[in-house]
Amino acid sequence: MFEYIWLVPLFPLIGFLVIFFNFRRLKGVTAGVLASIMVFIPFVISLFFFFGLMNGAEAKTVELFSWISFNKLSIPFSFLIDRLSGLMLLIVTGVGFLIHVYSIGYMKEDAGFNRFFSYMNLFVFFMLLLVLGSNYLILFIGWEGVGLCSYLLIGFWFKNQEFNNAAKKAFIMNRIGDLGFLLALFMLIHQFGTLNFAEIFSKSSAIPVGTFSITMITLLLFAGAVGKSAQIPLFTWLPDAMAGPTPVSALIHAATMVTAGVYMVARSNLLFVLAPVTLMTISVIGIATALMAGSIALFQNDIKKILAYSTVSQLGLMFVALGSGAFTGAMFHLTTHAFFKALLFLAAGSVIHALHGEQDIRKMGGLKDRIPVTFWLFIIGSLAISGIPPFAGFFSKDMILIGAFHSGYVLWVLSVAAALMTAFYMFRLLFIVFWGKAAVAADPKHPVHESPKSMTIPMSVLAVLSIIGGFIGVPALLGGSDRIQVFLAPLFSSSEAFLKHGAEVSESSEILLMTIPLLLILGVIFLAWSFYVKNRNIEQEEPERSFLGNLLYRKFYVDELYDTIVQKPVAGLSTFFHDTIEVKVIDRFVNQTGNLVVWIGKNIRYMQTGNVGAYLFFMVISIILILVLNLFK
Amino acid sequence: MKAIIALSILAVLNMFFGVRKMKKVLLPLIFIGLIITMILNISDWGKSVHYFNEMFIADNFSIAFSSVLILIGILIFMFANIYYKGVERPLEDIYALILFAIIGGIVMASFGNLILFFVGLETLSISFYVLAGSKKFDIASNEAAMKYFLTGSFATGFLLFGIALVYGVSGSFNLEAINTYILGCNGNVPMIFIAGMLLIFIGMSFKIAAVPFHFWSPDVYTGSPTLITAFMTTAGKVASIAAFYRLITIAFISLHSELTTTLTVIAVLTIIVGNLSAVYQDNLKRMFAYSGVAQSGYLLMALIVLGPKSAGILLFFVLSYVIATITAFAVLMLIREERGTFFIPAFRGLAKNNPVEAFAMAIAMMSLAGIPPLAGFMAKYNLFVLTAEGGYTWLVVVAVIGSMISIYFYFKPILASYFSEGEPQHKIESSVNFKINILVLSILMILLGFLPQVIINLL
Repeated sequence: MFEYIWLVPLFPLIGFLVIFFNFRRLKGVTAGVLASIMVFIPFVISLFFFFGLMNGAEAKTVELFSWISFNKLSIPFSFLIDRLSGLMLLIVTGVGFLIHVYSIGYMKEDAGFNRFFSYMNLFVFFMLLLVLGSNYLILFIGWEGVGLCSYLLIGFWFKNQEFNNAAKKAFIMNRIGDLGFLLALFMLIHQFGTLNFAEIFSKSSAIPVGTFSITMITLLLFAGAVGKSAQIPLFTWLPDAMAGPTPVSALIHAATMVTAGVYMVARSNLLFVLAPVTLMTISVIGIATALMAGSIALFQNDIKKILAYSTVSQLGLMFVALGSGAFTGAMFHLTTHAFFKALLFLAAGSVIHALHGEQDIRKMGGLKDRIPVTFWLFIIGSLAISGIPPFAGFFSKDMILIGAFHSGYVLWVLSVAAALMTAFYMFRLLFIVFWGKAAVAADPKHPVHESPKSMTIPMSVLAVLSIIGGFIGVPALLGGSDRIQVFLAPLFSSSEAFLKHGAEVSESSEILLMTIPLLLILGVIFLAWSFYVKNRNIEQEEPERSFLGNLLYRKFYVDELYDTIVQKPVAGLSTFFHDTIEVKVIDRFVNQTGNLVVWIGKNIRYMQTGNVGAYLFFMVISIILILVLNLFK
Repeated sequence: MKAIIALSILAVLNMFFGVRKMKKVLLPLIFIGLIITMILNISDWGKSVHYFNEMFIADNFSIAFSSVLILIGILIFMFANIYYKGVERPLEDIYALILFAIIGGIVMASFGNLILFFVGLETLSISFYVLAGSKKFDIASNEAAMKYFLTGSFATGFLLFGIALVYGVSGSFNLEAINTYILGCNGNVPMIFIAGMLLIFIGMSFKIAAVPFHFWSPDVYTGSPTLITAFMTTAGKVASIAAFYRLITIAFISLHSELTTTLTVIAVLTIIVGNLSAVYQDNLKRMFAYSGVAQSGYLLMALIVLGPKSAGILLFFVLSYVIATITAFAVLMLIREERGTFFIPAFRGLAKNNPVEAFAMAIAMMSLAGIPPLAGFMAKYNLFVLTAEGGYTWLVVVAVIGSMISIYFYFKPILASYFSEGEPQHKIESSVNFKINILVLSILMILLGFLPQVIINLL
């Protein structure tokens, strides 16, 4: 069955080519429908594969052709289908399909409709390559490809220079991480002589824990993940990336691409467990990002920016899980996050759509009754992300918190704090947008309206998933069988067992670990309610802020900091390199060499006098020289 | 041997029809004849037949190089009607001379005896002298013929003198016998023999236009009729390098180490002087003459190293050189026909009005410059690898520098046709036939770049 795995990425590629080369000819919503079908077919195939895997089908590497082969290094173009890639396939094609359908309604009026769908299909193609690659190079191709599509789609409305800058920022920040990834690839080749997952992981078992090269490789791989998954210090691109159309934010900058870093680390778990220093680094960066982004989100007023910082913060929590060795927890949260964050973005898109492009939450309010469907969907998403049982986020967050607890109380406390922030900013958003009175009088010409079916139906599906998605990981304590743990066990069990510190958490303390955060979260939601519903405490104007408040509102001045310590020195340095080194040294040298050649050419032709006598004279001299030098040596 | 007989019959038939003024018959007849010749030639593949007391040896090497020569004939006649457009005369004399020159070339690729070598060389050379002056009322053509004849006979004199000395010492014209004689000397080869050998090589250096015996080539190639220049620069080079290779590998192989210094100096001078002189030329025809000099320098590298694959690489190199040069000359002829000049500005805006011609020209020039993945690149690449493996790394360095310089002048027409700013020249009308021909040749250059081993492994 798995031999046909190449069909999965093939369809979106065909979709991209067809739409891209006909984008002036395709009329109406044809391109959108076509693109959706091209994602739906792989989704159906993925479903078959997934059930095959659940029923115990063996993981399989499918080699399409031998791609690079020289000396001892051989890199085949091959796909790996196992339980991890099977799960990712389902997320990418499933959520991808829903967002494609949603986009048909959302982008209907846009002049770039066809272009949009060609990029979206291209994105799905590269994401599938990333997920399916059976070696780091194919993964890297997908990795770069999704980066390209992200760039194209952030700058989708390219007439706005700010959006273009956001696209460039995303691309450049990703490049910084990619450099680490690329170096890691070279080191892997040096260390293992191959880039194939299977060979590397089987060889790695013989390597002792904590060797320098493995630590370097994993740190560099993590650097790639930091760029792609928007962690400190490379996280500032993701909020800016909200310049792209909202479905793009949902698909690329929430559900799939930004989680590629998590996937990559999880895929390489057998390497990472050999490097405790790296795991420590991942935990620290993960929790720092979760707290920083979470606290920034508390004070933002742009609906998409809040969700963006929320994504950064949730990704931080996933890295906390990875760093504490709870690989299953990270993948579980990745899955549920894909559902509810995509839902939230799409619902936010629906709100923006209803208000004709308004994104400032202070200008919203009272939407509860005017767009009821969106309202209910938004509530489901908020409950899920805040971790209220029985919604999906509760179970996955619980798994992460328990993982963090294993790594130490401090990490657990900080993770709970991050979770509390999540609940607060989400319910602040919810209460401000949907409760109270409309802040701005409705324009009679453009009445507030509920979104069309093509948008609400995909959202509803995601809402259902956000409700029931957590049931694949109900812990034994609550009478579940923790199916995701079992499902992913072939990939993670050895690593997770390898890292288990000390005794198991007892049942009673597990109950405590579950209930304490839950009670706190409920308290926080009540707090938000009293702030924003009961007292309706919304500043329309820029308020006087305390130092800390200002710091958070200004996003810790990270952008300004980067501007001062990185951008300006680099710009100065490159000006110096160009004006001095390039123009005055290199160019001059190159030009003088060229001039010398031309000068010699100009003068050497005077040997060619046109006079036969001179030619014969030269020849005779040469003949004599040759004879004399050879015969009388 | 069959090829020579077929070609001779063809040449005579061609004269006959020409005298009867049956102009329309000539070119079809020649094409059919050349194709038959090609088939007859290849039919001896792998047999290694020796004719006339070891005079003429049809081994794989000679068959391969003869095939290239016959191919040159086919390509030249393919573009003959472009060049001789509007000429009323049947032109049977010129066609016959081209065919006879090819016969001479085939003999030069197949000889087993110094006498036959000389006969072949003179058949080729004398045809060339006359062909160079075949534009009877053009003073440049006359000058070219005269210069070629004077310097050529001068070089032939030395060559013949060399043959006489070798014969005088060794007592034989037969290549194998000469080698046996050298081996019999046990390292004490008489000086007079070495002098003879050197004189033969000097004569050959003249024929392939190696520095410092290259002075004739820019003047002759510029003055001669363009079609003839294309023919001489390709056929002359292929035949001479084949003969040179036969002489070195069969007769003088035991003295090869004595010769490498001289050959290396000549090769280095040829590469440097050839490329540097071409830099300043805006006249494309003259630039081709100098670039041809430089290409001879690369060819000499294969003779210096003599690795296991020398012959195959030499074959691939001349094949890619022939195809690229004739394609470039075909476009050049068309442009000269229309614009009356060989200078670079004639190419201005060619890509806009004549995309096919501009494309073919660009491919040909890039192949000659050695840009991957074209045939010319693979030829140079294999040759340089061979040279480096033979221990002549510094020679490769010189050759690479030469190649770098050559990019400058090879790209001039490309830049003019694709990127020039000024007013583009008007469109040139060309037949569909012509377009297909040069396109096929361009595709061949690309294809050969991907499959060099097919040709290299032949020998």
